[in-house]
Amino acid sequence: MSTPFDLAEFLSAFVAEADEQLTLAGAKLLAIEAAARRGERDPRPIRDLFRSMHTLKGLAAMVGVEPIVTIAHAVETVLREAERATKPLEPGASDLLLQAVHAMNGAVRAVERGAAVPVPSNALLAQIESLASGAPAAREGERSAVRADLLIDPAIDAKLDPFERDLLLKGIRAGRRALRIDFAPSPARAAEGLTISTARERIGALAEIVRIVPLTVPMAEGAPAGIAFALLIVTDASNAQLALAAGIAEGEVRSLVRDAPQLETTPREDESALAPPESMIPEAEHEAPRRNLLRVDVSRVDDAMDRLASLLVTRSRLLRAIAKVAEAGVDVRELNQVASENSRNLRDLRASILQVRMVPVAELVERIPLLLRALTRGTDRQVHLEVETGGAELDKGVAERVFPALVHLVRNAVDHGIEPAPERLRARKPAEGLIRIASIARTSGRLELAVRDDGRGIDAEAVAKRANAPVPHSNEALLELLCRPGLSTRDAATTTSGRGMGMDIARRIIVEDLGGELSLETEPGVGTTFVVKIPLTVAIVDVFVIECASERFVLPVSVVEEIVDLTTDRLMPPAVTKGAFHKPSGILHRRGESVLVYELGGILGLPGQASAARAVVIRRGGQPLAFSLARVAGQQEAVVRPLLDPLVRVPGISAATDLGDGRPTLVLDLMTLAAQGQRRGGVAALPRAAASDMRRLGDGS
Amino acid sequence: MSTLHVIFRVDGSEYALAASDVLQMESYTGATRVPGAQDFVAGVIQVRGRVVPVVDLRVRFGLAPATATLDTRVVVVQARDRTVGLLVDSAREVIKLLPEQIKPPPQMVGEAEGGFVRAVAHLGNRLLMLLDFAKVIGEEALDVN
Repeated sequence: MSTPFDLAEFLSAFVAEADEQLTLAGAKLLAIEAAARRGERDPRPIRDLFRSMHTLKGLAAMVGVEPIVTIAHAVETVLREAERATKPLEPGASDLLLQAVHAMNGAVRAVERGAAVPVPSNALLAQIESLASGAPAAREGERSAVRADLLIDPAIDAKLDPFERDLLLKGIRAGRRALRIDFAPSPARAAEGLTISTARERIGALAEIVRIVPLTVPMAEGAPAGIAFALLIVTDASNAQLALAAGIAEGEVRSLVRDAPQLETTPREDESALAPPESMIPEAEHEAPRRNLLRVDVSRVDDAMDRLASLLVTRSRLLRAIAKVAEAGVDVRELNQVASENSRNLRDLRASILQVRMVPVAELVERIPLLLRALTRGTDRQVHLEVETGGAELDKGVAERVFPALVHLVRNAVDHGIEPAPERLRARKPAEGLIRIASIARTSGRLELAVRDDGRGIDAEAVAKRANAPVPHSNEALLELLCRPGLSTRDAATTTSGRGMGMDIARRIIVEDLGGELSLETEPGVGTTFVVKIPLTVAIVDVFVIECASERFVLPVSVVEEIVDLTTDRLMPPAVTKGAFHKPSGILHRRGESVLVYELGGILGLPGQASAARAVVIRRGGQPLAFSLARVAGQQEAVVRPLLDPLVRVPGISAATDLGDGRPTLVLDLMTLAAQGQRRGGVAALPRAAASDMRRLGDGS
Repeated sequence: MSTLHVIFRVDGSEYALAASDVLQMESYTGATRVPGAQDFVAGVIQVRGRVVPVVDLRVRFGLAPATATLDTRVVVVQARDRTVGLLVDSAREVIKLLPEQIKPPPQMVGEAEGGFVRAVAHLGNRLLMLLDFAKVIGEEALDVN
């Protein structure tokens, strides 16, 4: 490590941990709210929320993000009061607390961007404080009393909140010791595995950390970065234990108590007013940290993946070289054995790295309840969410990319699917609508995610009228229509959806960005189910290498149903079709099905007459179709990199790969190519004969 | 404060880009064509394991593409979250420019390069045109219309 103290890394760790706590806080608030609605008083979510606020406050104090400290503390106070008063939170409280979580999230985002952290609005703070029944004036008085007993460096004292002084003092009264430990990060300590994070964990296992204050100190051998952290703690541990944990000299553990250690005893009641109930003291500060879990920045795993990618490329080159010497008549049996063992090892390594990148689907879905709450608030819709992820996992990168699509589908279900409660009651349905998200891992390396609602279903006629198109007669055709850019099935645009962009975007993400599939089932009055099928991972895939109009491309093996030899399986001439768009070049009869064959070179707009010796058959929307091309050159694993720059974001081409020649080879997305005709010109714009042809291409009717 | 600029030639004229935006320069051995991309996109190349689109500046400026020579270079530029290669006739020089040397473009220059020049700099009797990278890669397409 060349830099003594990597602030950026430190901050990104903070952002990750803070996000975790905020997500948790959101979930707990919803639980509290649900309990309150049922008129129950469940102390557990309140305690959990308290812990999460407490942890967040500590984290924020450590990086000096005061606005979060202030808000988290205000929320903590409310919760402490609620816990003490053993009464449920007021009806408006959860709204206010969610606003607080939202404000803290805003602050975390600002830290992430490196922007100035917004100061919390006084109105919000005042409202939160008004939830707590405690009298603030009494606390002001206590503060000066407390300060008199503590010996704290004025620079640090200025940064402490009254409650933190309270905590230190309370510790002393309880016979524990209030101490200050200074920790200065340095490369030497980092090499021994001692960073401020680990020091915090280790000391946290021995003591209650009241506050961590960052300090600038003169640069010295022990503090080469000129930065140190003062940890203010309350503990029963000995100086020696603490010094060992923090990797410092025993003399550097300093007492925070003035020389007269015996304090006036204060009434017991007063004390309990200051202290959180024992049950609410964060578990993290009692338990030893879990050491078998690793938090790693995704970019590090990506680095490993990149290294593996270059290994795969090198292997391709090796195989080529072997083939070359074999052509020259050299005996390559042993080389081939070594090469295939090498291939096996690489496959195993690939599997291991991919495994590291996998995250539970549950983690992806856990942000949905908050979204649902925001969507249904202030409406006459009630929605109950059921999640069934069955322990399925998917690649972190895929999860991040598919999430916005999932959000669109849930929004759609709420805004267009679930009816308002009175309408549901009239239809003899429970007033509360149901949205169910289920995931099933398929054996073919694909994950299926279903979003089902028990709402009114999609009215195909209304959609058709809206789109000014003929009424679709299959689910596939209906989906096609729903995914038209700009289509909205609502008369008035709602704040959440209805701007007519949802389905369009959802499908682009699922189909074009991730190479997945989107399908739809709907029944009027009963409900709608959207099924998303996405690859578990997109980084490395098995591909066919093909040649077409003297250019090389690759196709993911997973989409190809069959490869047909057109030199033996003769093409029949296509039915007469008029119109300007791509015409099928022939029809293939195959196991009782008629398969339209399109010339791949023509569809891609490649110059020159393409020879058509092979055809790859795919199935889209239940209907088979084929593309003819010159040659299938082989099958191999390829590291696929999506083409993200707008200059080369072209429908039908999803990514590029290196087959070992050091130059990119394009990955074709046959599903999109098959659909392209429909979307590019629009069915209505095409002459009638061609239009009917296109529809046949797209749907299963 | 002078800033370093990379100088390159396209059709006999000299252009400049801030060196801080230039990732690297590569000799050009052809790019993989991307069917369906705009005509000024020569294709994609691989740079340090990344796939990068290449904009043929001659075509971007409305000229006919040239055959690649030993001098042909791809100037790989990284700015505004995007990495794009610019195909140029040659690129040999890095020079320092002082802020007072940089002037708004005369009307004529602006028109000839289709608005891709955001400033000019006089260096003795040489005229260097500072390229508007955002416009070249189409980020301000909406403003143009």
